[in-house]
Amino acid sequence: MHWTWIGRLAPAILSAVLAAQDLKEFEKKITEFSLPNGLHFIVLRRPLAPVVSMVTYVNVGSANDTSGKTGLAHMLEHMAFKGTDSLGTSNWLEEKKTLASIEQIYDKLEAERNKGPRGSKEAAAKLEADLKAAIEKANGFVVKEAYSTLIQENGGVGMNAGTSVDSTTYFYSLPSNRLELWFLLTSKVFRQPVMREFYKERDVVREERRMRIESSAQGKMQETLQMSAFLAHPQRTLIGFSSDIEGLRAKDSEAFFRQHYVPSNMVMVLAGDVDPVKARALAATYFSSLPTGPTPPRVTTEEPKQEGERRITIETPSQPLIFFGYKRPAASHPDDAALNVLANALSSGRTGTLYKELVEQKKISLAALASPNFASQKYPGLFMFLAAPSPGKTIDENEKAILEIVERVKKEKYGEEVLSRVKNQVRAGLVRGLESNFGMAIQLASNYMLYGDWRRMFTAIQEIEKVTAEDVRRVAETHFVEAQKSAVFTKAPAAKKEESK
Amino acid sequence: MTSQIGVALLACQMAFGQAAPARRAAPPAAMRTVKDLKFGPLPELKLPEVTTFTLANGMKVYLLENHELPLVRGSARIRAGNVHDPANKTGLSDIFGEVLRTGGTQSKTGDQLNEMLEGIAAVIESDVGETSATIGFNTLTEHTGKVLDTFKEILTEPAFSQDKIDILKNQYRGVIARRNDQPSPIASREFERLMYGPTTPWGRQMEYETLENITRGDLFAYHKRFYFPANILLSVQGDFETAAMRAQIEKLFADWTVKEAPAPPLPPVLQKAVPGAFLASKTDVNQTFFRLGHLGGRLDDKDYAALEVMNDILGGAGFTSRLMKKVRSDMGLAYGVSSGWNAQFDHTGTFVISGSTKSESTVDTIRAVLGEVERIRSTEVTDEELRVAKDSTINSFVFNFDSPSKTLGRLVTYDYFGYPKDFLFQYQKALAAVTKADVLRVAKQYLRPEEFTLVAVGNPAEFKTPLESLNLPVKKIDLTIPEPKRAQPAASAETLARGKQLLEKLQQAVGGAGKLAAVRDYSHNADVKLLSVPGGMKATQVTRILPPQVRFEQKLPFGAILVYSDGKGGGWLKGPQGAGPLPPQVVRQANDELFRMHPALWLSDQNPDRKVNAVGPNTVEITDAGGNWIKLEFDPKTGLVAKSNFRGPDNSESEAAYGDWKEVDGIKLPHQWTIQIGGKPAAEITVTEYKINTSLTVEELSKQP
Repeated sequence: MHWTWIGRLAPAILSAVLAAQDLKEFEKKITEFSLPNGLHFIVLRRPLAPVVSMVTYVNVGSANDTSGKTGLAHMLEHMAFKGTDSLGTSNWLEEKKTLASIEQIYDKLEAERNKGPRGSKEAAAKLEADLKAAIEKANGFVVKEAYSTLIQENGGVGMNAGTSVDSTTYFYSLPSNRLELWFLLTSKVFRQPVMREFYKERDVVREERRMRIESSAQGKMQETLQMSAFLAHPQRTLIGFSSDIEGLRAKDSEAFFRQHYVPSNMVMVLAGDVDPVKARALAATYFSSLPTGPTPPRVTTEEPKQEGERRITIETPSQPLIFFGYKRPAASHPDDAALNVLANALSSGRTGTLYKELVEQKKISLAALASPNFASQKYPGLFMFLAAPSPGKTIDENEKAILEIVERVKKEKYGEEVLSRVKNQVRAGLVRGLESNFGMAIQLASNYMLYGDWRRMFTAIQEIEKVTAEDVRRVAETHFVEAQKSAVFTKAPAAKKEESK
Repeated sequence: MTSQIGVALLACQMAFGQAAPARRAAPPAAMRTVKDLKFGPLPELKLPEVTTFTLANGMKVYLLENHELPLVRGSARIRAGNVHDPANKTGLSDIFGEVLRTGGTQSKTGDQLNEMLEGIAAVIESDVGETSATIGFNTLTEHTGKVLDTFKEILTEPAFSQDKIDILKNQYRGVIARRNDQPSPIASREFERLMYGPTTPWGRQMEYETLENITRGDLFAYHKRFYFPANILLSVQGDFETAAMRAQIEKLFADWTVKEAPAPPLPPVLQKAVPGAFLASKTDVNQTFFRLGHLGGRLDDKDYAALEVMNDILGGAGFTSRLMKKVRSDMGLAYGVSSGWNAQFDHTGTFVISGSTKSESTVDTIRAVLGEVERIRSTEVTDEELRVAKDSTINSFVFNFDSPSKTLGRLVTYDYFGYPKDFLFQYQKALAAVTKADVLRVAKQYLRPEEFTLVAVGNPAEFKTPLESLNLPVKKIDLTIPEPKRAQPAASAETLARGKQLLEKLQQAVGGAGKLAAVRDYSHNADVKLLSVPGGMKATQVTRILPPQVRFEQKLPFGAILVYSDGKGGGWLKGPQGAGPLPPQVVRQANDELFRMHPALWLSDQNPDRKVNAVGPNTVEITDAGGNWIKLEFDPKTGLVAKSNFRGPDNSESEAAYGDWKEVDGIKLPHQWTIQIGGKPAAEITVTEYKINTSLTVEELSKQP
């Protein structure tokens, strides 16, 4: 069985050297520059095939939503593909007027509703009818999906956007000869987004919440875990609460855009068959006129210290599940590398401790996993565990078995072969990631924005190489503290009495 | 989908590659519009060169050198598939595919393989699909030799260790138990089952029983039948020298020379259309997840290109499709709605429209969807729509070649399914020729709304208008998961004879078979002490049975529960919170009660539907075809039943211990017993009165108070 020794024989130093080499090689392919207005570009030249992926990464996420307007960052993300003043409209001047009148009517309606019991129901009903009519009138000017059609007919693929607690990203890929189309459209949208079809889109987002959260036991558990772990910090909900979504306004969305989508708060990454000199020229042509703005305020609310374990149940007819997490610091914290190694040792592949013990040995779980940062990297989040009990096995048994492991990793060090395995996996993961233009673009963007330098993709590996078994034990002991734990469990709904013969 | 397949780059260059005319002075960037943009030609596409050869043992090999990154990966494609699984072992391919990888080899355990592979960050995974199987590897260049050796070992001499089979079966039991938790997968699954027929190789699903039937021997037989060199296409690509890799592979597989008959042909898809609406009720969701469609076609159909264009315009191209524009942008009724012409290489695929909308708007959304189907069937699409659909495919064609692995994968796939190597280019030619008239013609010919099957998973109580308003017959889908059949001790002529003897001894001890046979109806009143409640709770109950009808009344401190079951799934239930139809679990409990009714149970040897098998010196097990079972343990002195074990609520095993036997109308009956559920004391029952043959009537039993 000579091969079992490989992990132990390959010294960590070897991988560290390789990572450094990777970085040196990689640096040659990267060009980065900032425009005078502060907008930063990173260009990765990878001329393997005549295609290019474009990612716009905005340093704003659901954590920037304010109370009463949860879901706004995500709602604005939905508006980015609605077109421009010249694309998606049959008559922009008239459409613009109508959109403004929608907001005026809505203001009056809100004012009436704000009167509470002293308001006039008739007046509100009249305004509601006016609002509906104005929305329908505005829709009359819309050329449906003009923006996405234009990208598609030009061979664009993978067009989409995403919002997280930390960030909002917009992306697609084009044949490389059409890259200028991206410059043109993106610069227009980020200079002046239009709140076209805002209120239809709000209904769509409400459906999205029904689909992802309200009709899914797992979705409910995730959101509930966030809400129970974070009582103050605004990472409680990502998609927003129903009633907040239903009250979001186009003018809020526009104000949110003006505040957060300033050049210094965004990074644009192009990866693929792209000439960096031309890219630079196009960037200057199209994006130089983006107005600068004050750097947006950072989230200042800090979660108050948790003073004891929180345990929440969710009644659902679904089969049992348990999610729980311990508070952990943001990814910028020095413990991050060791926490990543710990999560890998616990949860990766078929050799992870959770899989081996809960699934294979004790046979009490269908799946048992750990994740080092849920649901944020920018802010303190959770080191999360989740388990799905096997048939006939209970949530309690699963939680107990995981807690035994938690206590063990706080006391005992992992063996060197485990550390070596984890480090090899992380390094190979980086190499495999280099195969995808889009994957690289996302990595470059998020590393730049979260850490101030895309090189962190590589230097993070060097940090991981330095992690010792004692570091792993120490971070477990430091962060796996019962008083910092929040747990969410499913529970079968109380059986109706008729059925419990 | 169309993003994968397109029209030749050549065409794309002709259309868009004209030299840009002398440029007008460009307007300032802020004023520029799309019309001001001129795109240059794409560089000429260099197709990677694939080396192919066949080994002496018959295995076909494809090599593609690519030094971009220090990685090597490969994949063996094996002609196997779950459509060949025997019906009573549905799921065999799933178990096989996984345990091939996890169950170790003749020289290494699965755990050793895991440690070794994960230690060097290499991956080997195996999978069996509907009509093809794969086993693939992925490694850093430096470990290629070791990983290839391991790959070959797993491919050629797997060990299928029993412990890994057991673990996986346990996992799959959980998968079965959880299959009704998420609404969207339910909708997809039930639609597929209706499309292909739930008992056909294309439509059936793994159940507890079929899972239990799968043995380690089956896995070895599966491996022998399908995993032989001439049945495999092996592709390897990445950071190697072709000549060296060829030599390495030739050497590696030189000793693997097993032969088998070619894999059997695929079973035909014979299912007929099942028009109508099928509703699966799920009350914990607030959206309805729907699927709407019928069987579709194959990739080699002559109209395939026109069908893809039609489908893109209808609902296959995301935001720009009519369905998204109508249902999402216009009506705000769905986050996503799409259609798919899911043509398959080797069998009939499906045409399906999918989406989800809040419960209230279910019928409105489906109506809107049907309206779009009608529109594309009755009017030609616009020039603009046709142009966009074609341009999207033509201009994104280059993405078919954006990584060498796509070219290699396509080549192997076409070979595997017997398609021409230039199938993609033939398709692009056909697509370029599609006209508006073609789109209308295929929409009319291939979309048949009168044959549509609608599957809806949701909460019908919240529908604003019922599904019936769509003028479709509405049938309910029963999502009940068939109970696992209990493993039964083997029966032989000898054990069956002894079982009959033991039961006959019981019949004599209680008063004779004749007395038992004369029982037409049967009732008892009892006092019950519920031990599962702290401190115990007292109740009284009345059970009246006129087979197959059962009426059961229980009086508890907080109210009474009254149940009537007609023995055919019907009946009613009345409790402190009102009356209603019988929930499925109560139907089952009533049927269990019927199965266990003493006089009939004790005569089971005279019932051709039941089997009485001696499983111990004083124990018989009585089973029926419906999965009911009970074990009776006799007191060797008296011949009476001392104890029974049976299926209790929630499938936990229950046990009853009997005492206080007294004669009633010439039959000895127990007047006292205690019940344990899952090993914990649950109830003490004391019978205050038995009544036999009191001329019970159906009217009496079924009468609601």
